[in-house]
Amino acid sequence: MELFKNADFDFLGRKWWFILPSLALILAGLSSIAARHGLMYGIDFKGGTQTEIRWDGTPPIGSIRTAISSKLQGVMVVAAHGTGGSNEVIVSTALSPQENATGVRQTIENALSSITTRHSILDFQVVGPQVSEDLRHQAVMATAGASGGMLLYLSYRFRLGYAVAAVLAMAHDAVITLGLLSLLHEEISLTVVAALLTLIGYSMNDTIVVFDRVRENRRAQPHAPLTSVMNRSINQTLSRTVLTSGLTLLTALSLLLFGGPVLHGFSLVLVIGIVVGTLSSVYIASPILLAWDGRLGSKTMAGGLQ
Amino acid sequence: MNKTLVRKTLLIVAAALAAALVLLRRPLSLGLDLRGGTSLILRVNVEATSNDRIREVVEQTRQILENRVNAFGLSETSIQLYGSQGNELLVQVPGVSDLSRVKDLIQSRGVLEWYSVEGGPFSSAADAAAELGGVVPHSNKLAATKPSPSEERMWYVLRSQPVIRGTDLRDARTALDSTEQPVTTFNLTTDAAKRFQKYTADNIGKRSAIVLDDEMLSVPVIQDVIRDSGEIRGAKTVQEAEDLAVKLRSGALPASIELMQQHTVEASLGADSVHRGLEAGSAGLVAVVATMLLYYRWAGANATLALALNGLLLLAALSCFGAVLTMPGIAGVVLTIGMAVDSNVLIFERIREELRAGRSVSAALAAGFSKAFATLVDTHVTTVVSCIFLFLFGTPPVKGFATTLVLGLITNMFTSVFVSRLAFDWELAAQGRTKRLTLGLSS
Repeated sequence: MELFKNADFDFLGRKWWFILPSLALILAGLSSIAARHGLMYGIDFKGGTQTEIRWDGTPPIGSIRTAISSKLQGVMVVAAHGTGGSNEVIVSTALSPQENATGVRQTIENALSSITTRHSILDFQVVGPQVSEDLRHQAVMATAGASGGMLLYLSYRFRLGYAVAAVLAMAHDAVITLGLLSLLHEEISLTVVAALLTLIGYSMNDTIVVFDRVRENRRAQPHAPLTSVMNRSINQTLSRTVLTSGLTLLTALSLLLFGGPVLHGFSLVLVIGIVVGTLSSVYIASPILLAWDGRLGSKTMAGGLQ
Repeated sequence: MNKTLVRKTLLIVAAALAAALVLLRRPLSLGLDLRGGTSLILRVNVEATSNDRIREVVEQTRQILENRVNAFGLSETSIQLYGSQGNELLVQVPGVSDLSRVKDLIQSRGVLEWYSVEGGPFSSAADAAAELGGVVPHSNKLAATKPSPSEERMWYVLRSQPVIRGTDLRDARTALDSTEQPVTTFNLTTDAAKRFQKYTADNIGKRSAIVLDDEMLSVPVIQDVIRDSGEIRGAKTVQEAEDLAVKLRSGALPASIELMQQHTVEASLGADSVHRGLEAGSAGLVAVVATMLLYYRWAGANATLALALNGLLLLAALSCFGAVLTMPGIAGVVLTIGMAVDSNVLIFERIREELRAGRSVSAALAAGFSKAFATLVDTHVTTVVSCIFLFLFGTPPVKGFATTLVLGLITNMFTSVFVSRLAFDWELAAQGRTKRLTLGLSS
């Protein structure tokens, strides 16, 4: 079986068909993020309260959860059985800026007392948000470092224009996905961050495969117009692009449809990422490279030769 | 030709067997986020200005804490450096049982000292000081017992200079004394034993005080000359005596510790969700394999073999590095699988192109692999470069992603290039003069 035997599509001629919707999506996503005053962080990042309760007898986890969930946000009840036969329960809740910790503690105590008085609170504490200044700093350093590293390596292996185009396409994918998450009311949890990292890797991989072919074709025909070289490269790699994206999309869709609610955020980002990441290699990264070369004029026309 | 093929095949079989053996001996365990547990962030209060000194103290603290949790039977607890300041530790305790005991074990410094008692008991510090004429002289100090259930403490006047310190201990164990009460027994180093023998011989009938972390554990009367071993009574349960023994054995912490943050997580993927996720993932993989077999025919089997071997090697490598499987780690595995599928597709499409261009089978194979290899090097190295930065600056979950991905990419280079190529070579070697490749091409 063969998918595209002698494909000859004018991808770059139709670049605006993709760039305009992409820009619209970015705008919609960014305004959604702005309207919500930033991204919606999950409990992993927001912090909250944590209460350790000793129970007299086996704690009725279910009714504790129901009693507290009706009054507070982001409730999580975990049974912690000590080996000494102690019956401890750990209750975690979210803590929004409007609430104060003492109030939350009181609410929890009241809810527990409505079940039974045979319990005592061992410990109550406010867990700081994980997105502290320190973590923010780390995240910025990691992102900047990784992008810088890729820029350097790709400039060394290709040329600066290729590197800039690839990194910009990657940033484009991340921004679109974050915007879509905001539009879809999806919270940013640690799992979603993991999926974002995956999609960035995927997108970069896809772009490099296309660029690799562009470089090869330019070496073979240094004087051919770049647009046609790029179109030819995209067509030559089309089978692999469609096949790889199709296969990975198949797995991601399977996770999204059958993976259950816990994997929903993760697989949603993957599905969006695979589609956007694949399209952006053709319609974002390649036009940027084209524009870069066009702007820098004829002196780099024979580019790609090392 | 065939000899090289056999040798290469043996190498691959050996690698697969070794990986399987590693996984059988040390299966991957699930991380905190997948099975629930508590993470604690501790700050080590180092009063030092030089960074080297801080690092030294924090590392020493980390090792002592590790010894303690290991002695406690929580060998799966991990303690690692955290944050950018260099003085914070992240303790991850899987499961949520016995949290208060773990916290006590981690937070107490474990400074044991043995003093001679010069006066007491008094009901308050002021009374004790009054006995000394209102001012506590330099040679003496006051200490209180642990508060009783009714919140009462007893105060004693001690000599400031302890007879024995924690560093004088050689070992500590638990035992039951003659009345079946749990006690913590200890042994002294040779030097300290000499000192202690002289001290006890000189002070028979007098009281002494055993002080742990500035709280008096007990005030025994010296009955007899003690040489190199002794016991500490007063533990209410065997567990308490054991915990004390653990703290004494592991040595005192070089600095005090402050609990900054405590976070208990429910297994984000409960047993049920793990099951569903695995099912969905396998269904997806089966679909991928089926498509590849359909599209590439025999070569699809090559790709499947390479993919399976890649998974096996990656899991074994993770196990060798002592990694646990977390959600970000799984994300790394997912991306590895994606890039592995892509590697195979890239190589196969390239071979097809070469065949279409009219090359002979073996030339197409060689050219396909070598051209695709150049692309693979670029995609893989770029990803590894970004992973290095994620590992350097990322938080522990991000580090987990980076580690898994880098290992996965290394194993992928091996399986998708070396293993897959070998499978093709075997296919050709098995044929006669007219060679054909089953790549699903319509000829």
